[in-house]
Amino acid sequence: MNEELIQQITKMVVEKLEAANGGQTAQQPADEQKVQLFSQQPAGHLAAETPQASPSGAVTFHSTTGEAKPQRNIATVKPKPTTAFGKPKAEAEQPKEDHLAEYRKKTPARIGVGRAGSRPKTDTWLKFRLDHAAAVDAVFGEVPDNLLEGLGLFQVQSKVADKEEYIRRPDLGRKLSDEAKTTIQERCKKSPVVQIVASNGLSAKAIEENLEDVYLSLQQSLNNLNIEMGTTFYVDKGRVAVMDDIGELLKPDVVVMLIGERPGLVSAESLSAYLCYQPRHGTIEADRMVISNIHKGGIPPVEAGAFLGTVIQKILKYEASGVKLVQKEG
Amino acid sequence: MEGNSERGVGVSNFNKHETIISAGIDIGTSTTKLIISRFSLRNVAGAAHVPRIEITDKEILYKSPVFRTPLQDAVTINVAGVQEIIRSEYEKAGIQPSQIETGAVIITGETATKRNASEMLHQLSDEAGDFLVATAGPDLEGIIAAKGSGSYEESGKKSSRVIANIDIGGGTANIAVYQNKQLLGTCTMHIGGRLIEFAQGKVRTISPPVEQLLKDQGYSLQAGDPQSAAAVKFVTVYMAEAMARILKKEVHAQDQVLLLGHEPNWAKPVDTIVFSGGISECMYRHSSDEEQAAQYDDIGIQLADALLNNRSLQQFTWQEPVETVRATVLGAGTQTTEISGATIQVAPHELPLKNIPIYQYDFEADLAAGLSNFEKAIEQAVALYDSAKEGQNFALYLSNLPYLGFRDVQTLAKAIVQIMDQRPRPEQPIILVIQSDHAKVLGQTLAALQVKQSVICIDQINVETGDYIDIGKILASGVVPVVVKTLTFHTT
Repeated sequence: MNEELIQQITKMVVEKLEAANGGQTAQQPADEQKVQLFSQQPAGHLAAETPQASPSGAVTFHSTTGEAKPQRNIATVKPKPTTAFGKPKAEAEQPKEDHLAEYRKKTPARIGVGRAGSRPKTDTWLKFRLDHAAAVDAVFGEVPDNLLEGLGLFQVQSKVADKEEYIRRPDLGRKLSDEAKTTIQERCKKSPVVQIVASNGLSAKAIEENLEDVYLSLQQSLNNLNIEMGTTFYVDKGRVAVMDDIGELLKPDVVVMLIGERPGLVSAESLSAYLCYQPRHGTIEADRMVISNIHKGGIPPVEAGAFLGTVIQKILKYEASGVKLVQKEG
Repeated sequence: MEGNSERGVGVSNFNKHETIISAGIDIGTSTTKLIISRFSLRNVAGAAHVPRIEITDKEILYKSPVFRTPLQDAVTINVAGVQEIIRSEYEKAGIQPSQIETGAVIITGETATKRNASEMLHQLSDEAGDFLVATAGPDLEGIIAAKGSGSYEESGKKSSRVIANIDIGGGTANIAVYQNKQLLGTCTMHIGGRLIEFAQGKVRTISPPVEQLLKDQGYSLQAGDPQSAAAVKFVTVYMAEAMARILKKEVHAQDQVLLLGHEPNWAKPVDTIVFSGGISECMYRHSSDEEQAAQYDDIGIQLADALLNNRSLQQFTWQEPVETVRATVLGAGTQTTEISGATIQVAPHELPLKNIPIYQYDFEADLAAGLSNFEKAIEQAVALYDSAKEGQNFALYLSNLPYLGFRDVQTLAKAIVQIMDQRPRPEQPIILVIQSDHAKVLGQTLAALQVKQSVICIDQINVETGDYIDIGKILASGVVPVVVKTLTFHTT
């Protein structure tokens, strides 16, 4: 059967159920920006990848929603509180159905979704599957070439051969391939103040959605602050610590790595910016710092870019990053 | 590294625990009070997140005694007297005016109608601290009192309750109705302790609204009549009855005389009432251990009794306030300051800015459509606040922006530059308040366009057309304190 068709039908069913529920699950306060946390369109090479999507065998889902404690009405006899005038205070408020609405406004978590017998309701279940599929797609998807071209970024590889190996061997994702080293040596400005690197990491979707806005905004911020930038490039299947290899090659003062975060069920397109002062081989993790949660539903990418400029400014001022920066800052 | 000598300038430390000192001064019809408090500011966001600075703790450093408001005559406030009180109380508190970084001085009740009220207010706000905001207006007074008395906080606890805070002082009763910390409405009435004053057991003065009320109701009362006259009792009982009617939104023709300004405008029935202000002190005696300055010699105590014994008012649930007589000053001192978003762009030399009117422009989640009418907005803002083209600047509040990419921000910034150049005095700073978290990138984009004006661009503050804001000096954590003065009624 056609995979895309199945996806489309699933989506239609979910939408219909949501509409029937009066948007119970999709409730959003009117004053918030209406954004979709993730694309509901399937992405990536679905047909080819589905069989590999669960490398460790069958995926079992635990019904988290079923664990929500049903509200019990325990009859308790309490002395009636009184005011100074002996007037009884307000009696217990009548049970409110929209009690959870307050919480729903504040969290995208699946709270108060109810249950059907011992299992989640169909719409909850389908939504869960959809979100899970989006997460899988984010990991196995690819960053479109035209995005990188549009930003003028060239592409190099880590030592990882394919996605399977990327997941199994984090250590290889932390190393540049020999070919990558040569390319970087040839094409990059040496000893820049700031070296920006992008990588898909665990979410190609994060790069696709956010890289342009974060990058352009960061570039503008650095220009305004008169801070010199090196030649930005893209590392395919990189891990955060690949910046140490890059640091050794180019000797920048600061490396900023824009990398896709491990997708969750709330957002599959969240981007992180890892920063480090003079990363080199042997740099310890405590010297790296991160600004995470950069996406439509988190910190807006354009604002994140603008903020990163000032973080870099601070790193340069104190010549430190991570825990050392906090210590120096006092 | 040449060209980077200014690198460290303006670097903010988000993780430092910072404190600011706030003052609240309430100059009411009968009494004047002052409160000094210290706010703790902290970054409440996780280490891996963009910082979010919030006020995490408020500590009262000093509470002044309750002073009689010094008056020169019936229509003039004794400014020197008020200044003397503030000076000596600051001294007792061990505070210099220059240490006060935020707060508000509010002139309330009948005092606000005195001849020199506005002049004094602005003089005081300049003298009593670098960034002390001057406020007045009966609606605002009710709102601030509700925050100081604890009603506002309480309304957020049990989501269903509609709480009316009734702050009654010497001259007015200010009602503010809240549910879930949302303001539902306000109303102000001529109900207060000093509306009839006595001397040696005899009526000394009767305020004009009460005089009118007595006339309407066929009573006669004049100066020199005994304190025990039936008309006096009638007035207090009537006031309590009228209060109950207003709370139920049953405005009778004969009650109009006691209304100051608009009729009650909340849409939901009130179920809980909280009394604060000087009259509630007569009810609850929170400060009974304190040496109260003097007998007020007015109808205050009788009014408190009338309210306590009124049957119609007993139909509501009563709740005791956290603060009685000091509710308003506490609200002014501790509840008026907001903190801007942490990622903002401001020109430090332009701050503080005071009394900036807000013009709201709603994009309705559509950038292109919003920008096509942008120019008209500025014309309207100028017409509204600077009709004489004298150069009254305003802050543009951009709400309901859609999701913005970088190129959208550039488009928006260019449009802003263009329309701001059409102001009568284009060289004035560009002041922007943005609802969503976009202030830093918009500020930087304006800088990249090399705008000639200074730019003050802050976000995550909710305001609307008709509000006034004061923006304080930039703090070490890079945020600015903002005081929003809501003079109009807020709908939610």
